[in-house]
Amino acid sequence: MIGRLFCCHENLDFETGNDTMAISQQHNEAMASQSEQFHETRIIDVVGLGKVFDQNGQSLTVMERVNFHAYEGEFVSIIGPSGCGKSTLLNIIAGLDDQTEGSLKLRGEEASDRLGTVGYMQQKDLLLPWRSVLDNAIFGLELQGVSKREARDRASALMEQFGLDGFESEYPSALSGGMRQRVAFLRTVLADQQMFLLDEPFGALDALNRSQIHEWLLGLWERLNKTIVMVTHDVDEAIFLSDRVYVMSARPGTMRLVANVDLPRPRYLEMVTSEGFVELKTELLSAIRRESAS
Amino acid sequence: MSIVNRPGVCESYAFPNWLRTLITVGLRWLPAVLIVVAVVGFWEAYVRIFDVQKWLLPAPSVIAKTIGVDAGLLWGHTLATIEEIVVGFALALVCGFALATAIGLSRTIERALYPFIIASQTIPIIVIAPMLLIWVGYGLAPKVIVVALICFFPIVVNMVDGLKSVDSDVVSLMRTLGANRWAIFLKLQVPTSLPYLFSGLRIAIAFSVIGAVIGEWVGSSEGLGYLMIRSKPQFLTERVFAAIVILSALGVSLFAMVGIVERFALPWWHKEHGSRT
Ligand SMILES: Nc1ncnc2c1ncn2[C@@H]1O[C@H](COP(=O)(O)OP(=O)(O)O)[C@@H](O)[C@H]1O
Ligand SMILES: [Mg+2]
Repeated sequence: MIGRLFCCHENLDFETGNDTMAISQQHNEAMASQSEQFHETRIIDVVGLGKVFDQNGQSLTVMERVNFHAYEGEFVSIIGPSGCGKSTLLNIIAGLDDQTEGSLKLRGEEASDRLGTVGYMQQKDLLLPWRSVLDNAIFGLELQGVSKREARDRASALMEQFGLDGFESEYPSALSGGMRQRVAFLRTVLADQQMFLLDEPFGALDALNRSQIHEWLLGLWERLNKTIVMVTHDVDEAIFLSDRVYVMSARPGTMRLVANVDLPRPRYLEMVTSEGFVELKTELLSAIRRESAS
Repeated sequence: MSIVNRPGVCESYAFPNWLRTLITVGLRWLPAVLIVVAVVGFWEAYVRIFDVQKWLLPAPSVIAKTIGVDAGLLWGHTLATIEEIVVGFALALVCGFALATAIGLSRTIERALYPFIIASQTIPIIVIAPMLLIWVGYGLAPKVIVVALICFFPIVVNMVDGLKSVDSDVVSLMRTLGANRWAIFLKLQVPTSLPYLFSGLRIAIAFSVIGAVIGEWVGSSEGLGYLMIRSKPQFLTERVFAAIVILSALGVSLFAMVGIVERFALPWWHKEHGSRT
């Protein structure tokens, strides 16, 4: 088995199934070995996080006791049913919103002024229609105060890597969905923040485009050496790309399961059909199915 | 498909490119041209058949002749009216832009100013215009103020709507990229509002013509509105109509000019939505 599954112990009181309990018992031991494996600080460390929204007097508990972390340079995915608070969690990590409970540390510090330091690519590409591809790409640099000329130089150097060569002066409306997504990627990468949060970045792409962009993204991630946290609906995508995969429960969302993906790197498309991959996928899918059913 | 592939069939019957363009453009304006031809034809026939007096209703041919004969006189007054429109419109644009900016930046300013901006449109211009003569004197100023008063409202309302119609997700994105309130205003709100602003400018420029005429009616010594007021008691009805024709042409041209400026100012908008004129 290539993946090790363990339940997040903080949620034990929510678990009723015996099989999940059994898995969770391995948790502490597995966790310990994992820390040794990385020898790194937790660049993101979320403990007991909760979020309650107030909506016209009614309170809506979106997340409860969420425990989540990512090590420096790690690629972590989060899967969960729709509406379970995945985007809310990313919003809080990025600093767009604050938790109502629990703690969030970035690089080991309470980061109350984290807004602007965490790269965040939302579900939509959010390109500005009046800016050319090149000027959309430099938007982050521009907001950080880098001069337009220098920003354009830096962006131009990366155009080819992002498959945008020759499209510099086009408006976004002339681009395909995949290309628009790559411009958004380039904008995020150029802003050069300490970590990247990606919220369902490939939702708009068809399967063929997806597998191509997965390999491309992995190449990029290896070169950049940055921490990536990605939210996705796609189990294959999560396993193929990640070091670890979190499974979230239905609302109120909490981390139900975390799986180590021990596939070797660099990864190739063919691994998707390997025995270990399929086994892990089956486990994750059944966990997700349990969540969606409850 | 097969027809397209057969050589000769298509090409031999094909029109040259310029003719094709001409036909396309012609077809697009055909309904408007047909309406004008029908109305003018009916009008001309009616006047001739019933022998309507020239001072009561001049025939289109008489109006056309008047435009030709009085060209010098009409041109002078047209220039005066254009001056009032351009200065008044520019004033409205500057004030409208400034007001919309202030309202867009601050909810407090919005709550403080918006009621008065709306109230300004309930002032009967006809009543205010004579007072303006007393307040600011008898020159270009009162006409410019009337034009600006009429024009600034659609400019402000449209631009404020535009400033508010930003995508909140883009605001979030900008904040995660380190943007402050001012950057969000300058780099997101203002560009988002520009197509709205131009919609306001189209309405404003169409209103501006009638604004100038009203300003002239109340008190002036030149301009097409003044010419109409002076020609009516002299029973020079054909001259009144000539002025109306010129004013209409002026309105249409100014409207088209706003469209052309927009095309250059917002090329991305046109690539996305195509032409609106
Ligand atoms: N600003 C907000 N105010 C109130 N409710 C919100 C707000 N943002 C999100 N929610 C609610 O929180 C829940 C989780 O949303 P979200 O984090 O977007 O879910 P996911 O990304 O997992 O699909 C949803 O039910 C949503 O309606
Ligand atoms: Mg979401």
